[in-house]
Amino acid sequence: MENSFYFHRSFYFYKRTQIFRVMKIGLMLLFVSMGTIYASAYSQNRDITLNATNTSLKEVIKQIEKQSDFTFFYNEDYVDLSQSVSLKANKKDIAVVLNSLCSQAKLNCKFMENNLVVITSESQQKQSKITGTVIDSENGESLIGVSILIEGTNQGIVTDVNGKFSLTIPNPNVILKITYLGYLEQKIALKGQTRIDIKLVRDVKNLNEVVVIGYGTQKKANVTSSVATFKNKNLDERAISRVDQALVGQMAGINVKQTTGVPGKAFSIQVRGTGSISAGNEPLYVIDGFPLSTASTNGAGNFATGNPLDNINPSDIESIQVLKDAAAAAIYGSRASNGVVLITTKRGQTGKPKITYNTYLGINQASRKVNMLDGQGWINRATEIINGQYLATYGAKGAKVTDDAAARTAIVGSFNVNYFLDPRWSQAGHPGLDFINWQDQIFRTGTMQNHELTASGGNDVVTYFVSGNFSDQDGFVKAMGYTTYSARANVEVKATKHFKMGINIAPTYSVIEDPGVEGKDNIYHQALSMSPVQESTAGAYANSFNNAQYAWSNTTNSVLAKLQNIVGETKRYRTLATLYGEYELMKGLSFRSSINLDNTDNNSRSYVPYTVSSTLLSRTFDPAAKALTSNTSGSFNTYKRQTFVNENTLSYTTSFNKVHSLNVLLGQSYNFDRTDNSSLASSGGYTSSVIQTLNAASAVTGSSSSTQNVLLSYFSRVQYSYNDKYLLSASIREDGSSRFGVNSQYGVFPSASIGWNIIKESFMHRIHALSDLKVRGSFGANGTNNLGSDYAPIPTLVSSGYAFGSTLAAVIGQSPSKIANPNLKWERSVTYDLGLDFGFLDNRITGSFDYYNKLNTQLLLNVQVPEVTGFSTYLNNTGSVRNIGEELELTTHNFVGKFQWNTSITLSHNTNKVVALGPGQTQILIPSSFDISNFILKVGQPVNSIFVIRQNGCLTQADITNKVAMYGTETVGDPKYQDISGPKGVPDGVIDANDRQIVGHPNPDYTWGITNTFKYKGFDLSILIQGQNGGSIYSLLGRAITRTGQGFTDNAPSFYLDRWESADQPGAGRVSKVYSTFGRIVNTDWLYSSNYVRIRDITIGYDLSNLIKKNIVQGARIYITAENFFGRDYYYGGANPDATNTDLSGNANYLAPGDYGGLPLAKSIIVGLNITF
Amino acid sequence: MKKIFLIFTIAFSILVTSCNKDLNQVPISQGTTLTFYQSPSDFIQGVNAVYSDLRGYPDRLLNLSEIRSDNIYGVSDLGVRDWDPINSFQKAITGNTYVEEAWNTDFNGIFRANEVIEQIKKNGSTINSATLATRLDAESRFLRAFYYFDLVRYFGKVPIIDHTVLASEANTIKRSAIADVYKLIIADLQLAITNLPASYTGVDVGRATKYAAEGLLAQVYMARSGPTYGVEGPGLGLSEWSLALPLLQDIISSGLFALNANFANIFSYANQSPTPTGNKEAVFDVMYVTGASGTSSIYGATYPWDLAPNIYFKSINDSKSNGSLEVIPVSNDLLNKYAANDVRKAFTVHTASYNNAGSTETRPFFQKYLDFTKIPSTSRFDWGINFIAIRYTDIMLMKAECVLNGAPGSQATDVDAVVNQIRTRAGIGAIPLVNVTLSQLFDERRREFADEGSRWFDLQRSGNLITTMNNWINVEDLTRKQMNQVVAGYIVYPVPQSQLDAAPGLYTQNTGY
Repeated sequence: MENSFYFHRSFYFYKRTQIFRVMKIGLMLLFVSMGTIYASAYSQNRDITLNATNTSLKEVIKQIEKQSDFTFFYNEDYVDLSQSVSLKANKKDIAVVLNSLCSQAKLNCKFMENNLVVITSESQQKQSKITGTVIDSENGESLIGVSILIEGTNQGIVTDVNGKFSLTIPNPNVILKITYLGYLEQKIALKGQTRIDIKLVRDVKNLNEVVVIGYGTQKKANVTSSVATFKNKNLDERAISRVDQALVGQMAGINVKQTTGVPGKAFSIQVRGTGSISAGNEPLYVIDGFPLSTASTNGAGNFATGNPLDNINPSDIESIQVLKDAAAAAIYGSRASNGVVLITTKRGQTGKPKITYNTYLGINQASRKVNMLDGQGWINRATEIINGQYLATYGAKGAKVTDDAAARTAIVGSFNVNYFLDPRWSQAGHPGLDFINWQDQIFRTGTMQNHELTASGGNDVVTYFVSGNFSDQDGFVKAMGYTTYSARANVEVKATKHFKMGINIAPTYSVIEDPGVEGKDNIYHQALSMSPVQESTAGAYANSFNNAQYAWSNTTNSVLAKLQNIVGETKRYRTLATLYGEYELMKGLSFRSSINLDNTDNNSRSYVPYTVSSTLLSRTFDPAAKALTSNTSGSFNTYKRQTFVNENTLSYTTSFNKVHSLNVLLGQSYNFDRTDNSSLASSGGYTSSVIQTLNAASAVTGSSSSTQNVLLSYFSRVQYSYNDKYLLSASIREDGSSRFGVNSQYGVFPSASIGWNIIKESFMHRIHALSDLKVRGSFGANGTNNLGSDYAPIPTLVSSGYAFGSTLAAVIGQSPSKIANPNLKWERSVTYDLGLDFGFLDNRITGSFDYYNKLNTQLLLNVQVPEVTGFSTYLNNTGSVRNIGEELELTTHNFVGKFQWNTSITLSHNTNKVVALGPGQTQILIPSSFDISNFILKVGQPVNSIFVIRQNGCLTQADITNKVAMYGTETVGDPKYQDISGPKGVPDGVIDANDRQIVGHPNPDYTWGITNTFKYKGFDLSILIQGQNGGSIYSLLGRAITRTGQGFTDNAPSFYLDRWESADQPGAGRVSKVYSTFGRIVNTDWLYSSNYVRIRDITIGYDLSNLIKKNIVQGARIYITAENFFGRDYYYGGANPDATNTDLSGNANYLAPGDYGGLPLAKSIIVGLNITF
Repeated sequence: MKKIFLIFTIAFSILVTSCNKDLNQVPISQGTTLTFYQSPSDFIQGVNAVYSDLRGYPDRLLNLSEIRSDNIYGVSDLGVRDWDPINSFQKAITGNTYVEEAWNTDFNGIFRANEVIEQIKKNGSTINSATLATRLDAESRFLRAFYYFDLVRYFGKVPIIDHTVLASEANTIKRSAIADVYKLIIADLQLAITNLPASYTGVDVGRATKYAAEGLLAQVYMARSGPTYGVEGPGLGLSEWSLALPLLQDIISSGLFALNANFANIFSYANQSPTPTGNKEAVFDVMYVTGASGTSSIYGATYPWDLAPNIYFKSINDSKSNGSLEVIPVSNDLLNKYAANDVRKAFTVHTASYNNAGSTETRPFFQKYLDFTKIPSTSRFDWGINFIAIRYTDIMLMKAECVLNGAPGSQATDVDAVVNQIRTRAGIGAIPLVNVTLSQLFDERRREFADEGSRWFDLQRSGNLITTMNNWINVEDLTRKQMNQVVAGYIVYPVPQSQLDAAPGLYTQNTGY
């Protein structure tokens, strides 16, 4: 018979008699040892005992349901259950019993999966028939199990394994309602058709969607906490080299910052603001259930011992979920304070093998430059400064600006670039000099390519997903590159009915080529600063090899020569492996155990030949007769990082009394993390100019060190729902970490959340516009143990050596490096979250809104202590930071049908405030490596507020006459600063450090992303626009290239054309006169807005499946992508508003990574092809 | 089924108990205070660490005493360097790196000394030798006094910390009166004089001796004898010259020390071992060794190039960027104080012009500790020359000063003869001086000790600091007008801003800042 069945008005599945048993089990799972559970375990029952004489069929079915696990489906309109039947049975198999019953009642019985029995009437067969197929509108795949219902009746059918269906219909003009999980509902009027092919459109947000939560999955409709989801679809259709790159602008509340322009390097991800001051703000990453070690950025904003997303192939990823609020994340307790990112990789599906080949080819360039003065602009500025110096020093001797070289020689005595002009500057065509744009010298158009082959499939026993990937990307800076090789095998074996086991293994290898482009005094910074005027004889190779430095240039060696000759290479071999087994102890109760290993072997080598360093003399001749290669240097550093995790969980899922469903989880985890470092460096140069490895070094110094930590956890969670209407979830986790003081190693992290699916209430049925409505609220406590050190509470000794002896020799000294703190404990965050999920017009518009209030307390904060303790700071649990924010995610299906237009919007707002610091402390000035402090932690203000003097234009003679406050020995044309305070707290007519004020904060107030996708016939177009507002950059790169008192040799940005030149030409007011001697002080000159708007991605694709024969290729898509092509920012003192590459605090206790020469982002054009066989 | 559960239960409980122990991790690559101070060598290493804080002492003298004084006219050309506001008497120097460094390093040294003194008291029985325990304690006390005297000279009043303190206690300890700080210094030094040996042999040469403690205590008494200028500074206006005198006399009559015949030889890289086997001028050295083998740490010095410009090193083809970022020129005033034939002038000051990248630089710089054939091969932080913290010539001239200030002694033998001996060594003693005055003595000290960081303190003690400095500024800074006038408050430096911030209200700022 056809596999058609009829729907009862209300379904029921349950085991009423088992309610109390189930509740007991739940409690026992939580509180009692596991041995006890065994006593109440039971097995599935198929034997039926009946003694019915002229009893109604309905009553008999009830009895059978009571005795067994079977559930019956029927439609009372067609099936007469009131007829009487008689049957005696003693412990007979249910199949026998039912056959006997159904033949008596002239009904059809059919056993389905999951212990369902469908009862239909033989007389239901009608005359007319409709046949057809259902396929996915996007990839043309057949859809199995799609429900097709005749509207107005309860008659329907589901599609078979080939997506086909055949249905008898009462008349030829019925309307079919087609519904399928994960797809938009369709209604089709048959109008006499007897064959119909239906294309279903995927629903971006579907209520029945299942989301991955920690240690399990849950129906999205039942989620009571804040979880953001990202689907792989977006990954496959773009050319992406890292996972974090794909997340930019995709999820509300998740701020993904591309902090570097070097390909292959990690991005920085922050969930819901900056909660911790010194214990890291990076989330916890969990790949297929394997919690990876959290990594935090170091002072320079880099991940020194790797980032969890390194080498992970983006196209292996199926979906990413971010657990944003504490209740969602609390199951990961101590490491969940900054959110948890759950990554699920692709698995095989039962069915035909599917082979895909994805490839792309493309080019990339710098998306922007920092506009610097050109040669002539530099000459004009240099002339102004040199003449200024000449007048200031020799004015008393009669020096005049108009003096020629001879006149100057007469006054100065000997030639000195500080007082002399190059006569060629003023000659037409500046003979013998080249004007060089150094950025153009280092940039290029880089090519990119990517190839990937995957195979997936499976049968009832084995499912598999296997992939191999090769990707190669040349950076847009010469010599920069990123190559990866990765493979993955996810295989799962269902060994018996109750036992399955699987292995996920992903070996990867990558090579990053970066000769040190970003950061202070590195190549990009130097390319901006290097004098754009050079001798023609040397050109772009100035001050390298046999070329001298141009007399008026700075001492920088040619950045081009450096790029071509310096080696900086990082090779990383990383394998992620998980082995797991899952045993179903009884129906609904399963035990899962997994062993996970993440092993990274990283080595980096550098080589700097003497030919591109130091001075001409040292490159060509050494008076001390030392070998030239004594100025060559090299190093070789390695780290090995291993994370081992064993997790054991017991989970129980059940539902009872038709309306209650319960899910209980109990688990335990052991986490071990070890890093071994070694470093080798040349000492005293090299003995060879050909060999780059350290065997050619004159001498080698080396060292190695290791560090490890252990985390031990116990956790449990209960999820309950009543009728899918009232939802409750609670979890608790206890974590013990070796990183904390002996008195306080354990922390307990509870959470609870509730939800109300209002849409399921009967009174909502009248409101047709609403298709989904749920409110939810949660509370939870989480922790952070990301101290940067595994031994923070222990007063470790540091080497403090000295020299003694009649024959001088080093002696070892040992001294404590910090104050002991045996009470050091978890940093804690408590988050309240209120959320609303909604859908309008049959979910044409869906979205969610969240409000959160997150308070981080007992911060792991280095509190300043008087130095009389021997130290300037002390690591303690003190202070608190609050983040309050709102998040909106909105998806609209603006057009459906032939022309489709979908929009999804994410918008987040976050405010961040220091609530308290150390006892009695109202502020901490964050030390600066380069100047007086310019970041402050102040109660009531955002973390790391920018604390500098405000500049208000330039000083006029009138200002000086009126005795406005000045800094040092300022004169007319120097900047005018705002005098707001003094040593006594009132303005004192003097500009000094007391006049600093808070002028901004580094984190944006708003971040947002808008994705529009369009589809028409085979074409698709997607545009991602993303931006942020409200933050500021205090740029040390800006300071390096625009500071007052800067010499003439360094180049300056092109906005210097609007500088103060004289009282008559005061310029735009921002740039003061270029010759100044009063010095400099931290001020708003170097403050920029971090606002930007960027069209991250434009992709146009075409579905080739219409053009290709189906029997060879199932699907194919060709696309072209433009990344980062259009955008606008306001960062004139650098190239990337999100850049971090240099440690601005110089102090491990207060991390302040900032921009000191960060590259612009790459823009790229890529052509790609996806083929499915 | 039952079996499976049993196995799970057993496995689970084994896991839990074995893992709990794993939470007690001990650092793999570092020692800890819990495992240390168990053997004599541990205590010796602990004391060595107290010495280690001396390594920044010479740089500090140059940055805070030499640059502050009239020996340097260090107004920078291109941008402001950290030393500029020190040299120009700017008021806003509470956050200055050098000021912060002085407070922090000296108090760190005091912390380390206290830690060792306490550990000797607690676990000293493991040292076996009572002599060694006594010596180590005395060395620590000498160094504690050394750091405290450094603090008093720079900051005036400071908190007294005679034991290790935790944050909570530190927040209650205010700055003490100068006299009380001196009380601790004098007590420590007197104990050190009693318990320290007169000299060391072999690997211990260079540790603090009895005579180092006597020399330091003499400096303390003389500093206390200086005028107050109405400021809570190192000078207390006490006349303790005759307390200093016997200490100096004891050093002189020990016979262990002598004037070097050749001035240059005092600072020779070949004459680095201190007395008794080596440099007879060195009563107490801050010691450095270059290219220390078998270690990746650096035990060499940076101070030799602190006051020399990087561009000079470049001009002689040094690729390691030795030297300060800019020229920190020697003042014309100092140069003019030298007679043309004074050997100390050419040795101390580099006056010849030199070329770098086409430019000629003519401004002179200090080169007293620089031997350009000894540029370290690996690191610019690794120069191999000791710094003589207490020099025998100074001991002699200090004695002369005490006598001129009324301590018992003879003008002819204790003053004139000594000054003439030193002038002769400098090549300018052809006509012996008679009846040398204090003013002449201070002029001689200036020439002799230029680039040794002694000038600012000499000016303090002389009582003429404010007038001398302002007269000099008015002449030297006539055209550029970059410097401020010196007022009495500038005798000492401000309490660093970080300390005021760390414990708001605990310390009061020095007047004048």
